[in-house]
Amino acid sequence: MADLDPSKKVADRYLKREVLGEGTYGVVYKAIDTQTGQTVAIKKIRLGKQKEGVNFTALREIKLLKELKDSNIIELIDAFPHKGNLHLVFEFMETDLEAVIRDRNIFLSPADIKSYLQMTLKGLAYCHKKWVLHRDMKPNNLLIGSNGQLKLADFGLARIFGSPDRRFTHQVFARWYRAPELLFGTKQYGSAVDVWAAACIFAELLLRRPFLQGSSDIDQLGKIFAAFGTPTPSQWPDMLYLPDYVEFQYVPAPPLRSLFPMASDDTLDLLSKMFAYDPKSRITIQQALEHRYFTSAPLPTDPSKLPRPTSKREPTNSNSRVLDLNSNDGPTVLSPPRKSRRVMPDREAFEGNAYRADRLDDHVNEVRELAAGNTSKNEAAPMSLDFSVFGGKPPNRPTINSADRSHLKRKLDLEFQQ
Amino acid sequence: MAANFWTSSHYKQLLDQEEVDVVQSLDKDRGITLEDFKLIKMHMANYILKLAQNVKVRQRVVATAITYMRRVYTRKSMTEYDPRLVTPTCLYLASKAEESTVQARLLVFYIKKIQSDEKYKYEIKHILEMEMKILEALDYYLVVFHPYRALSQLLQDAGLNDINMTQLTWGLVNDTYKMDLILIHPPYLIALACIYIASVLREKDTTAWFEELHVDMNVVSLLKAKLCERGESIQFLLLGSCIEFVGCCNF
Repeated sequence: MADLDPSKKVADRYLKREVLGEGTYGVVYKAIDTQTGQTVAIKKIRLGKQKEGVNFTALREIKLLKELKDSNIIELIDAFPHKGNLHLVFEFMETDLEAVIRDRNIFLSPADIKSYLQMTLKGLAYCHKKWVLHRDMKPNNLLIGSNGQLKLADFGLARIFGSPDRRFTHQVFARWYRAPELLFGTKQYGSAVDVWAAACIFAELLLRRPFLQGSSDIDQLGKIFAAFGTPTPSQWPDMLYLPDYVEFQYVPAPPLRSLFPMASDDTLDLLSKMFAYDPKSRITIQQALEHRYFTSAPLPTDPSKLPRPTSKREPTNSNSRVLDLNSNDGPTVLSPPRKSRRVMPDREAFEGNAYRADRLDDHVNEVRELAAGNTSKNEAAPMSLDFSVFGGKPPNRPTINSADRSHLKRKLDLEFQQ
Repeated sequence: MAANFWTSSHYKQLLDQEEVDVVQSLDKDRGITLEDFKLIKMHMANYILKLAQNVKVRQRVVATAITYMRRVYTRKSMTEYDPRLVTPTCLYLASKAEESTVQARLLVFYIKKIQSDEKYKYEIKHILEMEMKILEALDYYLVVFHPYRALSQLLQDAGLNDINMTQLTWGLVNDTYKMDLILIHPPYLIALACIYIASVLREKDTTAWFEELHVDMNVVSLLKAKLCERGESIQFLLLGSCIEFVGCCNF
């Protein structure tokens, strides 16, 4: 449904071009800014029929992006109302890191990986310096511009942190990027959750496939423990006190080298520090940037020389190649250990938590119905679905970005504020 | 909310008193004086507080809502932007921005409950339309800093964090929103001024502590004399000059 009529100008400034895709809360289309000649991406924020005005997630994104101006963070150029809808104008980005990682025609040298990781960490470091948690780090939210610059995008889940005792929802991040403390249900967490997700992205750059592809929250923990060994209380003393803690059968850690046979010693050292179990001893983004990995040879590739996919911005839904890739050398290395004992039987399913949150609000159904009508970019699968029934088939990328999830999370956030 | 004030849009948007005290020409034409302008804003700040008490939101939402309302009127006229609609809409927007959303439905219900005057009775659709206009008037800048956080840290540092002083200073900070101070001064200065006033009222000796902050003690004693003369009832009117004084001491 490309709109190529050049006479159609929005807000007297933007020339609408083709639709780029369906975003979390509305259509995204390409446009030309007639004031600067720059190509931009305009997000049209759908106003919900639930009579709650400007979408809450969109408002969060506006609020934070107005404060965050950095070369590794997507720029919010403008915002304007048009025909009753709010429009957000972003700089146009050619592709994203997920497309780079899954493009089999692209060879990523160790220097290229270093460059992509460095830009990711720089963007995150800036957020953390401003006391903002991103909370939805994944390759598909790391956009890449025509000059090769990588920028953090999608701040719809981000929030300002730093107040002691503030409790947040643990239902953040797509599952594969979720830190173990979140999977154990912690509500007080900090920048370490973004570090874990960045480590997952680092690993994904090295392996060219998602590193820890759990099919449920419990399975995700199993995958993590299979890779790094079951954490011991001495490694992570606070673990036993987390709300959803369950005891796992002890498995020893295989040598990290066996998971990343091609990686250099510096790579493995940084990776292991970013994957530290105890969030308190996990390396900070700033420390990671100062790690010798970034100063030892080979030096990071200049962003403009980084390999990028030839085709522009494929729709994220066409996951077929990802699936192929996974079935070839899928996560078989990491068979999840059987969970030996449940400590809290009433917390059995993570879905149970979500359900309880639902019941807190009697209007949620109303919103749910509405959300069902909203098609989201990654319709893949609800987060808590168990994929084990499909046998060996690897799961689609889980996402938390559908409208109803964000509504749920909002509810959860609110719950903790009272 | 913890974040860096000095790199924030709030800091960059701080105004001078003269810039805040401008009655828009459309309002002037209708005979609104600067005094009227200030009184209307104070009245509307109280209206926000009253609504907030009914819908039950945190103080910081109230403070953010009042800040939005005051910012809007540095740019827009009351003739075009009816304060009786802008006010509840600011509360609605602030509740979202501060992550404790209040439903528009609920807000409209309480507006009808507490206001008998027909002119206040706006519907959900009016609030949602105005929300968009306010976002535009604020140029989409939504992060606001408040003195509360600095206040508790400073009280602790001064060793004055007992219940009595905490309550008094907290109340004084709330009172500062009756004026445009939050548009003019950094929040920590407002907090300091409130601590100063409270310590004079409660006859706490904070001289040494203020001296440590490099305050000119001559100005302090002068201000103390002035405060003691006037008494507690009009304390908040003095806040402006108190902040001036705190501001000119280098921290």
